[in-house]
Amino acid sequence: MKNLIFILVLSIFSCTKNSSTSSTAGAAAGGEKVLNLVVTADVKGFDPNQASDLYAGNEVARVYEGLLQFHYLKRPYQLEPNLADGMPTVGDGGLSYTFKLKKGVMFHDDACFPNGKGRELTAEDIAYSIKRMGDPKEQSKGWWLIEGKIAGLDDWRKNGNSDYTKEIAGIKVIDKHTIKFTLSRPFPQFLYAFAMPFTYAVAKEAVTKYGKEFVNHPVGTGPFITGKYNQGNQIVYTKNPNYRTVTYPSEGESGDSAKGFLKAAGQKLPLVDKIVVKIMKEEQTRWLNFLKGNLDAMGIPTEQFTNVMVPGKGLSDKFKKMGVMERKSVGLDVTYTAFNHEHELFKNNVKLRQAMSLAQDRDMVNKKFYQGISIPAQSITPPNIAGHIDGFVGQYQNLNIVKAKELLSEAGFPEGKGLPEITLHYTYNTKSRQIAEVFQQNMSKIGVKIKPVGVTWPELMKVVNTKQSMMFSMAWGADYPDAENFLQLLYSKNSAPGANGSNYSDPEYDAMFVKASMMEDSPERTALYEKMYKYVSEKVPWILGFHRVGYGLSHGWFKNYKFTEFNHGVAKYYDIDNAAKGELKTKL
Amino acid sequence: MEKEYSLWADAFRRLAKNKIALVSLVIVIVYAAIALLVTFGLLADDWAQEVGPANVAPAADYLLGTDFLGRDVLKKVIYGTQVAMTVGFFSCAIAIPIGVTLGAIAGYFGGIVDDAIVWFYTTFASIPYLMMIIAIAYVMERGLKTMCIVLGVTSWVGLCRLVRGEVIKHRNRDYVQAVTALGGGHSKKIFTHILPNVFHLVIINASLRFQSAIKSEVILSYLGLGVQNVPSWGKMIDDAKQDLMQDRWWQLVGASFAMFLIVLALNILGDALRDALDPKLKGQES
Repeated sequence: MKNLIFILVLSIFSCTKNSSTSSTAGAAAGGEKVLNLVVTADVKGFDPNQASDLYAGNEVARVYEGLLQFHYLKRPYQLEPNLADGMPTVGDGGLSYTFKLKKGVMFHDDACFPNGKGRELTAEDIAYSIKRMGDPKEQSKGWWLIEGKIAGLDDWRKNGNSDYTKEIAGIKVIDKHTIKFTLSRPFPQFLYAFAMPFTYAVAKEAVTKYGKEFVNHPVGTGPFITGKYNQGNQIVYTKNPNYRTVTYPSEGESGDSAKGFLKAAGQKLPLVDKIVVKIMKEEQTRWLNFLKGNLDAMGIPTEQFTNVMVPGKGLSDKFKKMGVMERKSVGLDVTYTAFNHEHELFKNNVKLRQAMSLAQDRDMVNKKFYQGISIPAQSITPPNIAGHIDGFVGQYQNLNIVKAKELLSEAGFPEGKGLPEITLHYTYNTKSRQIAEVFQQNMSKIGVKIKPVGVTWPELMKVVNTKQSMMFSMAWGADYPDAENFLQLLYSKNSAPGANGSNYSDPEYDAMFVKASMMEDSPERTALYEKMYKYVSEKVPWILGFHRVGYGLSHGWFKNYKFTEFNHGVAKYYDIDNAAKGELKTKL
Repeated sequence: MEKEYSLWADAFRRLAKNKIALVSLVIVIVYAAIALLVTFGLLADDWAQEVGPANVAPAADYLLGTDFLGRDVLKKVIYGTQVAMTVGFFSCAIAIPIGVTLGAIAGYFGGIVDDAIVWFYTTFASIPYLMMIIAIAYVMERGLKTMCIVLGVTSWVGLCRLVRGEVIKHRNRDYVQAVTALGGGHSKKIFTHILPNVFHLVIINASLRFQSAIKSEVILSYLGLGVQNVPSWGKMIDDAKQDLMQDRWWQLVGASFAMFLIVLALNILGDALRDALDPKLKGQES
C-alpha cells in the first residue's frame, strides 16, 4: 500500500510539473523529461507470453527484459547481452548454450514480493519463464519459437500437468547466475529467441499472486515501471529508480556520429524520466496531435505524403521550419506474388515464371503505390541482413517485355495462346485491389490473362493452406534478422500449411537450405546465403515485389530516434531536449 | 360516353401524361439498352485498355478523365451500368417468383400453410439485411452470379407480404367463387384469376426492388464483396477514396451520377406506376 501511495504522489507531482513546462515555453530546460509516444491499436496487456503483436510487444519491453537484445545502433542487426553477462558459450557442437546472468539485477518493487521489495533476478527465473512458454495452461503465443528445439520441453508440455519442479533435460540451472540450455537439434537461430518479448523474464511470485490478472500487473526488471494496467487510453511509465547501471552505446554504424546518435554515448540509461503512451487508433487524431506537438513522433499518413515530402528532396519547407525531422525505415520484409508450384501450369515451368516476372512493371507499382521509395526486390533476402547482395540486379526481376514474350513462346504459350486464365488471390483492400489490377494489366501485355479475386485474410490462408490457389499475393516480415527466416519460405518441407505456401520444391535448393540452416554465423554461411540469393533470383519461384520503405516523422526535440526493425526496449535510449522543445513549440 | 380502356392501356395513357415519369422511363430504357450493348460486346468492351496517361482530368479526349491505370473512366461507367442493370434484373427475376409464389400460396390457403410461410419470412426478415448478404457473399465465390443470387434470395420478403395480403382480400371475392363453381382447381384460381388482379403490385415492387438491388451492388462492390475483375460503380467509388485526397474527383462523380440517375428514375417510375396502375383511379383524370 505504501508503494501505491508513493506512486500516486509521484505521478500527481510529475503531472503538475509537466503542465508547467509545456505552458511556459522555453523554461525549465533541466526539467522532467517526458516522452510522448503513440500506439495505433489496443494494447492487449503486459504478459510477455501473449505479446504476439507489435503493440503489446513494445509495451512489454519497456517493463520486462530478456537475456539478449539487439544493438541499438549497429547494422546489420547484431545481438548483444542484456540480462546476460556476456554472450553465451556454445558447446556440444552447437547443441548447448550456457548463459551467465548479470549480478544485482532487481525486479521492480511490487506487492507480490515480501515487504513489497523487489528481489534479485536469478537463473531460476529464466528457467521458469521459458517453462512457462511451454506450459499448455498458459497458451503462450510464442510457443512456436521454441517448439521442437529445447530437449525435453516438448515432452514436458505433452504431459500437460504444468509441474514446474520437474527436471527438463534441456533447461538446467547450474548455479544462481548460470543457466544451460540444451537443444534437441542444432539451430543457430535459437539465440534470437532471447531477444523477443516472449522469453522475457517474469517473476513466479507475480504470476502466482495475480493469476489471470497477471496480464495487467507488469513486474519486470526493465528501465521503466508502470502500475496496474487499466486498458485505458493511455499508459504512463516512470523511470525505474533502482535500474542497474546501463549506458548508452558508444559505437554505431558509419554515419551515426554525423546524425548525432552518438552524442549520448556513455550516459546512464534510461534518459527520460517518464513516458506517456497514448492509444489513438485514428490516423487523423494522431496527425493533429503530432502537429500540435503532443506526440513526439509518428509515421506519415498516406494521404499527407505529398504535403510532407517533396519527391527526391525530402521534407517540405513547411515541415523543415517546424524543426521536424524525417526518418527512413527500410523494412526487413519482402512482398511477393507466389505461384502455386503444385499446380500443373507452374510445376517445373521455369520459363513461364520468368516470362511473367519480366512482364511485371515494378517501377510503375513503386511510383503509384509506394511513392517511388520502396526497393524493388531482386531476390528474397531484404537489405541490412547478411545474405542480401547490395547492387545485385536480377536477370528476371526487371521489366523486359521483348524477352518476356520470347520466354513465353519457349514455354509453349506463344502470345499466351493455350494458357488458361490464371486466378490471383489477394487480401482485399483498395490498395491491394489496385495493385492486382496493375498486375493484371501488365500480364495482359504479353497475353497472360489474370483474374484477380479479393478475399479476406482467413479466406486467403485457407486457399493457400489447402493448395487451391493458382497464384496469391503475400508479404513476409522478419521474425529475426537472419536470412534463414526468409529462405525457409521456399524449403520443400515447409510446404502448405507451412510457411512455404507456394509449395516450391527443388532438391538443389533444399540441399543448400539444409546445409545453411545448420551453420553458425560465419563468412562461409554468408557465402552460401548469397549463392541462394542468386539462385532464387534465377529460378523465379515467386514474382518478387518490394522491400518496403517508409518514412516516419519526429519533432526536433526528440533525440536518438534511430530506426530499428527490432524496437523492443529501445525507449531507454530515447531522449527529450526540453530547451529545444520550448523553443520549437512556439513555431508549431 | 367515355371510352373504355383495359387496365394496362389505361395505365399507360395515364403514365404518358406524366412528363417526368416518361423521362424516367426513357432513362431506364437507355440504361437497359446500354447494358445490352455491353453484354454483347458492342460497347465499352475495351474498358481495360490504357487510353492515355494515368489520372488525367476530364478533357475532350476523355470526357470523364482517366483512372490510376490510364483507363477511360467513361468506359468504366458504361461497363458499370451493365453490371448494375444485370444485378438489378436478375435479382428481381429471382426475388419476384419466390415472393409472388410464397405470398400467393400463403394468402390463398391460409391456416397452417400461411402460418408456416409467415413464420419463415418473419424469421428470415429478422436477420439484418446487409449482414446476411455479406455473410452469403463470403461463403460463395465472389462474382456477378453470386451477386444476383445473393440479392435475389434476400429481397423477396416485402413483396411476399404484400402479395399475401392482397390475395387474402381476393380469395373470397365473387369472381373466385364463380371459378370454384365452374370447377376450377386451386392453381387455376391462384395463377389464372387472382394473380392478374394483384400483378400491378408486382410491377411497382419490381421497379423499387430494381433500384435497391443496384444500390446494394454498389455497396457490396465498394466493400470488395461484389464483382471481380470488371468495373463497377462501387469499385470506382472505392478508388475515389484515395483519388479525392489528390483532388481527382471524376471517378466519384462519374460513378455517383450514373447511379443517382438510374435510382432516381426508377423511384419516380415506381411512384408513377403506382398511380397509374391503381384500379381505384381507373378512368379518372389525374
